[in-house]
Amino acid sequence: MNFARQCLALLRVNLAGLIERPSSALTILVGVTCAVGALVSMLAMGTGARRQEMGDVRADHAVLSKTGERPGQSDIPRDEAAAILGLPGIRKGSAGEPIVVFESMTFIEGRRRGTRTRIYFPVIGVTPTITEYLPEMRFTGGRMFRPGLQELIAGDSCARQFTGFELGDSRLIHGVAWTVVGHFDEDEAQQCVVYGDVDSIMSAFKSNTYTSVGVMLQSAADFSAFRDAVAANPALHLEALPERAVVEDEFKQLNAILYFVAYFVGSIMALGATLGAVNSLYAIVDSRRRELATLRAIGFAPGSLVVAVLVESVLLAIPGALLGSGLAWILFNGLAASPLGYSIRLAVTPALVGLGILWALGMGLLGGLLPALRAARIPVTTALRAI
Amino acid sequence: MKFLPLIWSGIWRKPGRTVLIFLQVCVAFALFGVLQGLKTGVEQLISQTRADVLLVHGTLALFDPLPLSLLERIKSVPGVKVVAPVELFGATYQSPDQKLGVVAVRPVEGWLSAFSYTIAPEYVAAFRQSRTAAIIRDVVATKYGWKIGDHIPLLSKTVQKNGSTDWAFDVVGTYADSDLGGGGDTLLINYDYFDEARVESKGTVKHFKVAIADPALAATVADEIDRRFANSANETRTESMRELAQSQLQSIGDLNFLIRSIVAAVFVALLFATATMMMQSIRERLPELGVLKTLGFTDAAVFLFILAEALTIFVAAAVCGLGLALTVFPLASKVVPGLSMPLIVVAAGLACAILAATVSAVIPAIFAARSNIVAALAGRR
Repeated sequence: MNFARQCLALLRVNLAGLIERPSSALTILVGVTCAVGALVSMLAMGTGARRQEMGDVRADHAVLSKTGERPGQSDIPRDEAAAILGLPGIRKGSAGEPIVVFESMTFIEGRRRGTRTRIYFPVIGVTPTITEYLPEMRFTGGRMFRPGLQELIAGDSCARQFTGFELGDSRLIHGVAWTVVGHFDEDEAQQCVVYGDVDSIMSAFKSNTYTSVGVMLQSAADFSAFRDAVAANPALHLEALPERAVVEDEFKQLNAILYFVAYFVGSIMALGATLGAVNSLYAIVDSRRRELATLRAIGFAPGSLVVAVLVESVLLAIPGALLGSGLAWILFNGLAASPLGYSIRLAVTPALVGLGILWALGMGLLGGLLPALRAARIPVTTALRAI
Repeated sequence: MKFLPLIWSGIWRKPGRTVLIFLQVCVAFALFGVLQGLKTGVEQLISQTRADVLLVHGTLALFDPLPLSLLERIKSVPGVKVVAPVELFGATYQSPDQKLGVVAVRPVEGWLSAFSYTIAPEYVAAFRQSRTAAIIRDVVATKYGWKIGDHIPLLSKTVQKNGSTDWAFDVVGTYADSDLGGGGDTLLINYDYFDEARVESKGTVKHFKVAIADPALAATVADEIDRRFANSANETRTESMRELAQSQLQSIGDLNFLIRSIVAAVFVALLFATATMMMQSIRERLPELGVLKTLGFTDAAVFLFILAEALTIFVAAAVCGLGLALTVFPLASKVVPGLSMPLIVVAAGLACAILAATVSAVIPAIFAARSNIVAALAGRR
C-alpha cells in the first residue's frame, strides 16, 4: 500500500515535470504515433482483404471440384454434374428444384476507367439458380440474364471501375455481341464479377466441362453427410469442400504477403520509436538526477522509482497509439488499394486499434525499462554532492 | 583536418546517447532502403523487359487459342523478324502437387531471339533432331535430379491420340530463363510433335511470340498485326513484353501512395527525435562550447563543429542501415521474383541522410553559435 502511494506520488511529480520538458515527451509521442500509424494502416489492408473475402462466405455453401483440383480451374463433365442434383442434403428452391449452381469461369479483358489500363476479370457462367444460391444478391438496375441468350449481369464494382459495363453496353465475344442487362450489389466484395448463362458462355468458349459446382445445403450441419455422400458415390470423381476453405485457400498467399509486409514495416518502425523513447527517457532521468537522489534520500524505494518511470513511459505511448490509429483511420479507412492485382478496401477496425495500443504498450515498457533502472540506481551521495 | 579529434570527442561525449541516435537513424534508413528499393526495383524491372518482342494473343483473354494458320500472315508484316508459335499446358510429375508448365515451341531459324531463354547451341541442335526432346529449366532439372538422356513421364489433362493422358519426353539439355519472375517450373518441348499427338484443339496455339527488327517501331508493328486480323473470326491483340510487364506490375505501383506515406512517417519521427536530442545535448554542452569560444573559436567554427558531428553520425548510420537493407533485400524478392536493389536508392538514401542531418542539426547549431560566452560559462541559458 505504501509502495503504491509512493509510486502515485512519484508519477504525479514526473508528469508535472513533463511540462518543463515538452520536447522529450513529444519525441515519444511522435515516434509512437508514426510507428502505430504505419502498422495499423498496413494491417488495415489485410483486414480489409479478409473482410471482403469472408464477407459473402456462407456456412451452408459447399463447393465441388474434381478430386485434387482447385475449384474454378477444375473440369467437371456434364454427366457427373447432373448426378450431383440427386445427392442428399441439398436445399430445395421455391420451385422445388435443388439449389445447385454449375459454374464455368473464364477471364476476359476489360479496361480500367480513367487510366485505360488493361485488366482481366472473371466472367462466370452460372445456372439461373444463382439468385437462390446467393440470397444476398440484389439487383440495383436492369434484370436477370435470360438462359440461352448472350446476356451478362455485372457487379456494381465493375461499372464503377471499368468501362463498358453500363446497362445496354455490349461487347464482342468471338464475334458475337453480349449485352449487359443487369447490375447487382455485391456487398463486401470489391472484385469485379460478371455472370452470364452457363450454357451460352460454354458454347462461346468451346468448353464442355464445368469449372466448379456450388451447392446450397439444408444447413451447415449437413456438410459432412453431403461430403461423405459425394465420396461414396462411385460415379463421381469429385470432392466437396466448405466454401470457407475454398476462399481461404484462394487468398492464402495474398494474406501471407500482406501480413508479412505489415509486421515487417511495423516492427522496424516500432524499433525506431523504442530507441527514440529510450533516448528521451534517459535524457529526462539524467536531467533529474539531483531530484531523484533527493527523493531516494527522503525514503522513496528504488522500486517505486522504476515503476513511476515505466508508467510515465507507457502513459506517453498510449496517446501516440490513439493518434496513430486515428491518423490511419482518417487517411486510409475505406481507401481502395489494389496490391498485387486484388482490389481491396482498407478497413481500420477496433481490433486493429486495440492491437496498436498493445504495440504501443510494448514500446513504452521496453523503452522505459533501461532509463527506469538507471533512475533507481543513481548513487544518492554522489548525486547530492554535485549540487 | 586538425579539428577532427575535437569533433570526434564531441560525438562520444555521451556514448549511450550517440549509440541510440545511431541505431535509430540506422533503422530508419534500413526501412527506407527496403521500401524505396521495392518501388524503384519494380520500375527498373519493367524497363529491363524486352520492347522488341511482341506477344500476339486472342482479343478475349491471354489464353484464348488462336489458329496456327495466322503464322504466315503475321510473318508478312513489315518489321517482323521471327514468328514463334507457343502452346502451353500444365502437367504433373509423379504426384499432383509437383506441377510443371510445359511450353511447346517450334525451333525455327532464330526462334531464340523471341524468348528470354539462354540455351547452349548443342542442346538446341539435339532438340531439333528428336521429336520427343525436352529442354528443362535449370532449376527444375536440379529439383528433380533430371539428367541428359533421362526419360521423364508426365501426366496432363491433354489427351493423346491413343487415349492416354501420359506424356513422356527425353531430356536433351537445360536452359536458363532471364524472364521477369524467372519463368516458374517449366520445360520446353517440340510444338509439332505435341500438336500431332493430341486429340483436341489441333492446329491452335496460345500465342505467337514475334521478334521485331526495331524496338522503336513496336507499337506500329503491333497495330499493323492487329489491323490484319480485325473483323475476322480470330481478332488478335498484340503487345510488347514491356507493355505486358507494365500491366502486370501496375498493381504493385498502386502501393506507391502507401509506401510514400510510410517513408514520410519514418522521416518525420526520425527528424523529430534527433532534433530534440541534439537540442538537449547542446544545452548540456553550453559551458563547454563557451570554453571553446573563450579560446578563440569563432561562432562559425562552433556552428560547423555541431553540423559536422550530426553529419558524421547520420552518414555512418545511413551507410549501416542501407547495407542492412541490401542484405535483407533478397527476402523482398520473394514477393517480386527477380527483383534487385537499385544502387540509385543507396545514393538517394545517402543524400537524404545529409539532408536529415542538416535539418535536425541546424537549429541547435545556430543556438550554439549565437550563445553568449559569459552566460554560457555561467551555465545560464
